[in-house]
Amino acid sequence: MTMQGEVDILLVEDNPDDLELTLHALRREHLANNIFTVRDGEEAVEFLFCTGRFAERSFNQHPRLVLLDLKLPKLTGLEVLKLVKNDPRTKAVPVVILTASREERDLVASYNLGANSYIQKPVDFDQFREIVKTTGLYWIVINQHPLSNPLSMAATQP
Amino acid sequence: MTGAPQNGSSQNRLRVLLIEDSPADAEIEIAELRRAGFDVAGDVVDTREQVRERLKKNPYDIILADYSLPNFRGMDALDMVRESSLTTPLILVTGALNSETAVECVKQGAMDYVLKDHLARLPISVRRALEEVRLRQERARAQEQLANKVEELARSNCDLEQFAYVASHDLQEPLRMVAAYTQLLSERYQGKLDSAADRYISYAVEGATRMQALLEDLLAFSRVGRTGAIPAPADVNAAINEVLKNLDLALKEHGVTVTCHPLPTILADRFQVVQLFQNLIGNAVKFRAKRNPCITISAEPKGREWLFSVFDNGIGIAEEHKDLVFKIFQRLHTRTEYPGNGVGLAICKKIVEHNGGRIWVESELGHGSNFRFTFPAAVADKAGKTEDYELCTQNPVGRR
Repeated sequence: MTMQGEVDILLVEDNPDDLELTLHALRREHLANNIFTVRDGEEAVEFLFCTGRFAERSFNQHPRLVLLDLKLPKLTGLEVLKLVKNDPRTKAVPVVILTASREERDLVASYNLGANSYIQKPVDFDQFREIVKTTGLYWIVINQHPLSNPLSMAATQP
Repeated sequence: MTGAPQNGSSQNRLRVLLIEDSPADAEIEIAELRRAGFDVAGDVVDTREQVRERLKKNPYDIILADYSLPNFRGMDALDMVRESSLTTPLILVTGALNSETAVECVKQGAMDYVLKDHLARLPISVRRALEEVRLRQERARAQEQLANKVEELARSNCDLEQFAYVASHDLQEPLRMVAAYTQLLSERYQGKLDSAADRYISYAVEGATRMQALLEDLLAFSRVGRTGAIPAPADVNAAINEVLKNLDLALKEHGVTVTCHPLPTILADRFQVVQLFQNLIGNAVKFRAKRNPCITISAEPKGREWLFSVFDNGIGIAEEHKDLVFKIFQRLHTRTEYPGNGVGLAICKKIVEHNGGRIWVESELGHGSNFRFTFPAAVADKAGKTEDYELCTQNPVGRR
């Protein structure tokens, strides 16, 4: 876990057991250094919009990846996604849906709201680890994103 | 409300609306009915307004109408009965009527006609009319009951599917945790505890894995009825190609020969067609013969249906198990002999029936199995045999 400043991954997950599994998988790949976890949709929104508990955060320090569960207390994952993708200050933040749901309607809704990726947590534990590894590597290591350079991001804003 | 005798003291109470302008004729008709044992009560009227008034107030068991009154036609009374949403039977009682007119009146809904110089027939005709009404009401009641039952069944089916879905979906999550953490346990502590501990952990992992597979299958089973997929023309040849590609490894590994005759295009959800054949062919591979295992797939038109056949020379099914194999979670072998959850054929049955067909198996223990099923015919197929596509689309096969 880390200070709120330098966050690579924002993990939004309410189940402690699920949370630990994901963290375990990320840790194995040494991707867990700059991880911040929030436990419900409301907290996720406060974090990303720098309000409430996270009022002192800056929009220049967006996470490079949000791993978002769909079934969340207070605000659902889809509601969080909608808020994030509808606001010019946050819409460029990559949001990957990581969920147990294999419902077509959740998949379609997520993409319609602007999700960058949709991953169904496989039941098989080895597969799950593999997927977390691939996802983490791709978004944190391979992917180039304007957010890695806050200035370039600022330039594109209206 | 109408037609049925009103809580009369006797079974023979008869409430009559007599549309007749001759008091003498009315008298005779009533007398005729009384002589036959009817306890007659009712009214004699001869104008349109009176008929309307009476029908409003009084439900009658029967209406006896003169065919032609000076200012009223007997058949008009029938229209008025219908306008009042009544089902009271009407018998024409008339002086003279040519047989063509009589037949026309009966066609239009008069229950019968009785000539005034044959009034002895009147009680018989009335009894028959009352009986007919009773039968009609019984039929209507039975139909209504049947409709209710069908609706109830549909609802309970829907509930069941919803239950299967929710159960398998929501059970998936905690189970995923059990499976993952026992697996983590086994990775981290394998060999560090005693051998019994290792064995226990491996049993727990196996159990959780098996349950996951069961839930997956249950989900797949519940999904057959839930997908909103609209049936479209699906080329079964293409579906089979896809299946054979999916099963390529298993087919090669066990040296199974697959012979596929030309197959038609049917109206169904393509995904379900693939799943159906994949389950059947997969099954045939699993229960294959020890030597030269082969599978033959064919289809032939049978009336308005296609009769499909997936035929293998495998181990076969005993007579007493032929229906059992289509039941969900029904297995005929131990898990070590043949792996599986006993869901595959249940899914096949559901897919076929969902599309308006039937499935069964012809087999003899040790002499292969022939899984046969029907699909409603649709669309011109490659052999040039044309089916009425319009006709088939009017009866959508994917009922929800």
